[in-house]
Amino acid sequence: MPKLIIDNLEIEVPEGTRVIEAAEKLGIYIPRFCFHHALGAVGACRVCAVKVLEGAVEGVQMSCMIDAQDGMKVSTTDPEAADFRRSVIEWLMLNHPHDCPVCDEGGHCLLQDLTVAGGHSIRRYEGGKRTYTDQYLGPLVQHEMNRCIQCYRCVRFYREYSGYNDLGVTGIAGRVYFGRLREGVLESPFAGNLIDICPTGVFTDKPSRYTGRRWDFERTPGVCIHCSLGCRTTVSARYRQVGRMEGRFSQRVNGDFICDRGRYGFYYADRPGRPRSGRISGQTVSVDQAVYEARDRLQRITEEHGPQAVGVIGSGRSSLQTQSAMVHLCRTTGWQGPVFRNTRITGAAADTAACALNPENAVSMRELETADAILAVGADPVNEAPVLALAMRQAQRAGAQITAIDPRPLEWPFDFEHLACRAEEIGEALASAAERLSDSRRPVVICGTEITDAGIVLQAADLVAGLRGSGKTAGLFCTLPQANSFGAALLDECNACAADLAARVEAGQIRALAVIESDLWHDFPDRPQLEKALEKLDLLVSVDFLDTPLFEKADIGIPSLTVFEAGGIYVNQEGRAQQVRPAHTGGLPITVTGAGDHPPRTFAPNVPGRDMPAAWVTAFCLAGQAPPETDAQMTAWMRYNFAVLSDLARMDADGVRLFAGGKTPIAHEATMPEKPEQCLELLLAAAVFGGEPMSDYSQCLRELAGLPAVWMDRADADRHGIAAGDRVGLGFENGEVSFVVRISDHMAPGVLVVYRHPDIDWQPRAGDTRYNIREDRIRRIEKA
Amino acid sequence: MESRVLLKNRKPDRILDLAEYRASGGYSAAAEMLQTGRPADVQEALEAAGLLGRGGAAFSMGVKLSTVAEYAPFPRYMVCNADEMEPGTFKDRVLIHTSPHLLIEGMLLAAFSARAEHGIIFIRPEYENAARILEREVALAREQGLLGKNIFNSGFDFDIVVHRSGGRYICGEGTALLNALEGKRPNPRKPPPYPTVKGLWQLPTVVQNVETLCFVPHVVQNGAEWFRNLAAGPDEAGTKIYSVSGRVRRPGCYELPMGTALSEIIETHAGGMAGNGRFKACLPGGASTRYMPESMYHREMGYQSLSDAGFRLGTAAVMVFDHSACLVGATVNLLAFFARESCGWCTPCRDGLPYLHDLLRRIENGQGRAEFVPMLREMAGQMGLAYCAFAPGAAAPVESLITYFEDEVREHIKAGRCPFREAE
Amino acid sequence: MLPEQIRAELEIRIAEADHPQELAVDVMLAFQEAAGYLSERALETAAAMLKMHSLEIEEIATFYTFIYREPVGRNVIHVCDSVICWLDGSESLMDYICRKLGIAPGQTTADGKFTLLPACCLGYCDRSPAMMINRKVYGHLSRDRIDDILARFEREEPA
Ligand SMILES: Cc1cc2nc3c(=O)[nH]c(=O)nc-3n(C[C@H](O)[C@H](O)[C@H](O)COP(=O)(O)O)c2cc1C
Ligand code: SF4
Ligand code: FES
Repeated sequence: MPKLIIDNLEIEVPEGTRVIEAAEKLGIYIPRFCFHHALGAVGACRVCAVKVLEGAVEGVQMSCMIDAQDGMKVSTTDPEAADFRRSVIEWLMLNHPHDCPVCDEGGHCLLQDLTVAGGHSIRRYEGGKRTYTDQYLGPLVQHEMNRCIQCYRCVRFYREYSGYNDLGVTGIAGRVYFGRLREGVLESPFAGNLIDICPTGVFTDKPSRYTGRRWDFERTPGVCIHCSLGCRTTVSARYRQVGRMEGRFSQRVNGDFICDRGRYGFYYADRPGRPRSGRISGQTVSVDQAVYEARDRLQRITEEHGPQAVGVIGSGRSSLQTQSAMVHLCRTTGWQGPVFRNTRITGAAADTAACALNPENAVSMRELETADAILAVGADPVNEAPVLALAMRQAQRAGAQITAIDPRPLEWPFDFEHLACRAEEIGEALASAAERLSDSRRPVVICGTEITDAGIVLQAADLVAGLRGSGKTAGLFCTLPQANSFGAALLDECNACAADLAARVEAGQIRALAVIESDLWHDFPDRPQLEKALEKLDLLVSVDFLDTPLFEKADIGIPSLTVFEAGGIYVNQEGRAQQVRPAHTGGLPITVTGAGDHPPRTFAPNVPGRDMPAAWVTAFCLAGQAPPETDAQMTAWMRYNFAVLSDLARMDADGVRLFAGGKTPIAHEATMPEKPEQCLELLLAAAVFGGEPMSDYSQCLRELAGLPAVWMDRADADRHGIAAGDRVGLGFENGEVSFVVRISDHMAPGVLVVYRHPDIDWQPRAGDTRYNIREDRIRRIEKA
Repeated sequence: MESRVLLKNRKPDRILDLAEYRASGGYSAAAEMLQTGRPADVQEALEAAGLLGRGGAAFSMGVKLSTVAEYAPFPRYMVCNADEMEPGTFKDRVLIHTSPHLLIEGMLLAAFSARAEHGIIFIRPEYENAARILEREVALAREQGLLGKNIFNSGFDFDIVVHRSGGRYICGEGTALLNALEGKRPNPRKPPPYPTVKGLWQLPTVVQNVETLCFVPHVVQNGAEWFRNLAAGPDEAGTKIYSVSGRVRRPGCYELPMGTALSEIIETHAGGMAGNGRFKACLPGGASTRYMPESMYHREMGYQSLSDAGFRLGTAAVMVFDHSACLVGATVNLLAFFARESCGWCTPCRDGLPYLHDLLRRIENGQGRAEFVPMLREMAGQMGLAYCAFAPGAAAPVESLITYFEDEVREHIKAGRCPFREAE
Repeated sequence: MLPEQIRAELEIRIAEADHPQELAVDVMLAFQEAAGYLSERALETAAAMLKMHSLEIEEIATFYTFIYREPVGRNVIHVCDSVICWLDGSESLMDYICRKLGIAPGQTTADGKFTLLPACCLGYCDRSPAMMINRKVYGHLSRDRIDDILARFEREEPA
């Protein structure tokens, strides 16, 4: 390891470390625009100049372009280097519009910082400035090309790092332009990272434009809860409202970047319709009143019909606090549940995935980037766990061969081989594709849990075990349905699912349901069954921070806090428990209480709308118990009451890995039935934008969901005389649903794929996430 | 006396055709080398001869060939750089119009040495005629088995395609050229890896200038000793085509011993200064070299001799200015060219050159201020820290203008106008 | 758009190429040859032929001097404005052509006959000042010679 001296300080760094990084380790920040640790060095901006006093190449050098070498002596303060850096900044400012007062980057702008730091404060250049026309880039990203300093970071991220090519660089010399060929929505679901990566204000956050400067916001480290990866975020809140979300670096989880669902999914938290007071039979009451009423009525039903007459339903979107409080609630009352998943098949797949992970086979996303072969089974990262696709791309760029076994028309931003087969053939295909990993040394098997079943997950885990047995550092990477599905799998004690409880309601065994932060209406596949069950209930209690249809229907509605107000612990798909701190105090946003006034003119000691409890507090209250008083006490309580959570004590900045350790997952029956003749199998699948209940509340993301579409294999479409863009009706048992047709050459034949979409109400008709559509019930309604 | 090697067969207004070329001994060097020689023979001869690259950088071709490793991957590429966009330079055009087969044979021998099977001639679009000549003559050579499979029954395969550029000065830079060939934006690449290790499509690639390649058959045939002796001085080697232009009576290409004195080039070969002009300065090797002032008038124009004196021979495009020429104006013109042609990759070049241009233009227009002079000097110096050699080249005229002609610059500032223009 | 035969030839070259992307400039130039400039449609077609993203084509098209992304006149005049031609009065010749054609550099005459553009050193400094019309270079320019040359174009193509 080379040892060098920078500004008279000695440091030893690993071989291949650039001088700019070595300096950073010493706490010396060398200016940079084009260099970014995730994107690497390209030496374009020339602002990282330092003087090498002793070494192989002496003189002023770009510190991002030279490797630290033994015996090197570097000065960052040498006048020649400093003067050059000042000149570089002066040059970069020649054409800059100096519009900091109206630029959203102002205050956290690298250009601003370095201009001040570099000592360029007086404009000497008297020539004109060239100006550009900006482009409309969609609802998320604002374009302001005049501010550009041509560091090329945007295209390097967009093209090289993330693998999309509708953003690029055109022109030459002082007229290079970073944008699209024509105006239009950026195609990458990672486009929002342009905002973070641009060192100045060319790409800024559009929905939050002009709502605040960085210093106006309370910035809190957060964790994204819009899929199971648990990417790190920074939450910016102001006036009791989340205003903006950014990616936050994590060495283990997401690296630097997040997806646009995670960046823009937070708008549910402050939408006007969000429940903020209690509801009893449609009447608004105080939260306390609703809680006590619910407790009393559940109590009465328990007394009259026994504890098994009350069922409790939760979900994987609740924090570990809420989930464990719910388990405790059932333990102490004897109520049924809590159940955290909807059906046995999907529940068992997720549970099995969580239980199959152990300290040996579990890989983090960053580790996955170093895999040399990847086999993805029934997993569609772009749609199910978007940032995973970025990690896979990094592996592929470094040379990994990637194979996908999946029926869907996968569109991934990297080269891979797609073995398209029907869902029920995945197991077989996996068995025969396993040998593709035989030449690798660090293979990773990625397994999804949305369209697979427990059998396939086990098969994938066995494959990894086998590979490890043969001396490879093989890893298993499963994606789960929700942010805290892993927590649910750890805590579950009742071996049942929502469908089981619904059946018990229908059978008259259960008379009351307490549904806590679960989107049954949205997620439960068999709507008719659900409706029948709800009809039969004596009491439906809903606790939620979303105004879901179920909340509307509930006899008693109790609002709860969002992650931004309550914080909580979430366990991602690799078993990593991560602590989220509340980002703001909660209560009604000032935009509401101040009726648009700015700044708010009334000052009162108590925050209006602050009287809502976190769902876990409500759970304790429903059990008639006093909840722990502080977050810390709650964590201690969880560790004490749940052996699987005892490691929470070791939680640090990287979180802590929790493992199920021999727990048996929820039991499941045989897998999906074979597809009958004369049928096409309809698969409902996750979409990056659309179908994830929380982010569906974000208007800006709904714009990106497009039109509800059904994907068909070309041969199937041809057989039906259907062309891309046609509108077709698919006939279900009880009615028809219409879709625009998309055609793919690389999906499984005999399969129809519908990506979830906020505008498709499939549950009343399909009854399951897989459905066999009779070929004669596919009807063209309209030609393209 | 003109010692003609490359231009000895120059015909007025037509090329030396294949038959004539062969009759004059053409392709015999290649035939012999391919049949009886080893690839290393070519490389060794060139290295011993001290053949330096004629495209401007003056890097030894033999040394470059030696960096193509024995076990480097295949296929390998032999690229001829016929971009010739350095202002003032027109020797490659003349060479192609004189003896296209000399170039083809040179490429063949160089390719043999590097064991390259693909040859590409990268040519600027302004040279459409030359491109057509080359396409036609390459086809003829192929018909006669001088290109293609198993050339001279040696088992060696080599073929050439002509690649037209879309037209940009930076494309001539050896690594930008590779990106241009790959259909990418022609930004330069930063070595290492060097093109001979990872060039076109990450495969070993040798890039040489037209003139350099044209010397190869002669060196192979006549030997290193002969080549060295062609020069005018002991520290130089070979001949050089000087493209002389500007205020001389007979602008044109003159092939002379390397290191011929500037005064001799101008007076004996280019017909002396035009009109009643007196020599004031010249750019010795294209737009990206330093002005040589009058005190250098008798300097030997060789790579070594000029570099000893702090100048660069570049492409040996000698652009001559007399006392009626405003060097401030000329430099403004050069800076406009460089600012326009910058690839836009790095800051000094993309934004610094327009700044230099603006300052000097103000001076020329009579809006200059005294403080501009140190600014010009400082920033011109800082161009040396750009990503590639473009910006340092662009700064050379400005820097030398301030160094040798500061008085002329200050006169503009003091008078508030260009003293060379008639007062309006 | 592209004459069938030329298109077919290009398709063959693309199919045979180890790296079709190497032909990007050739394909663009072929489209331009046929239509005078690289139109939006030509850009898309070129991209499809080369299996490149149309933005990738645009990225290189906008880099080069000799790819025109906007319609040009039937004859494109490039007047060298580099240093030797400048020394020999190219600025006043450019002015002269502008006045003669009634357009500014970068513009096209109303009848669509000429487009006037500046150019870098054409490599004809021995015959300065020089200009190029449709890839043919004319040196030793003077006002008279310019009159002659342009008149030839007028004759060849009566208004
Ligand atoms: C900005 C720039 C432009 C260049 N243009 C040319 C050119 O047009 N023709 C050329 O042969 N070399 C040109 N060169 C030099 C090449 O980079 C390279 O050194 C040369 O082609 C190698 O061939 P040689 O060693 O035979 O000279 C240029 C270099 C720079 C920095
Ligand atoms: S110096 Fe920089 S901007 Fe100029 S041509 Fe070289 S890389 Fe491009
Ligand atoms: S950070 Fe080193 S050149 Fe930009």
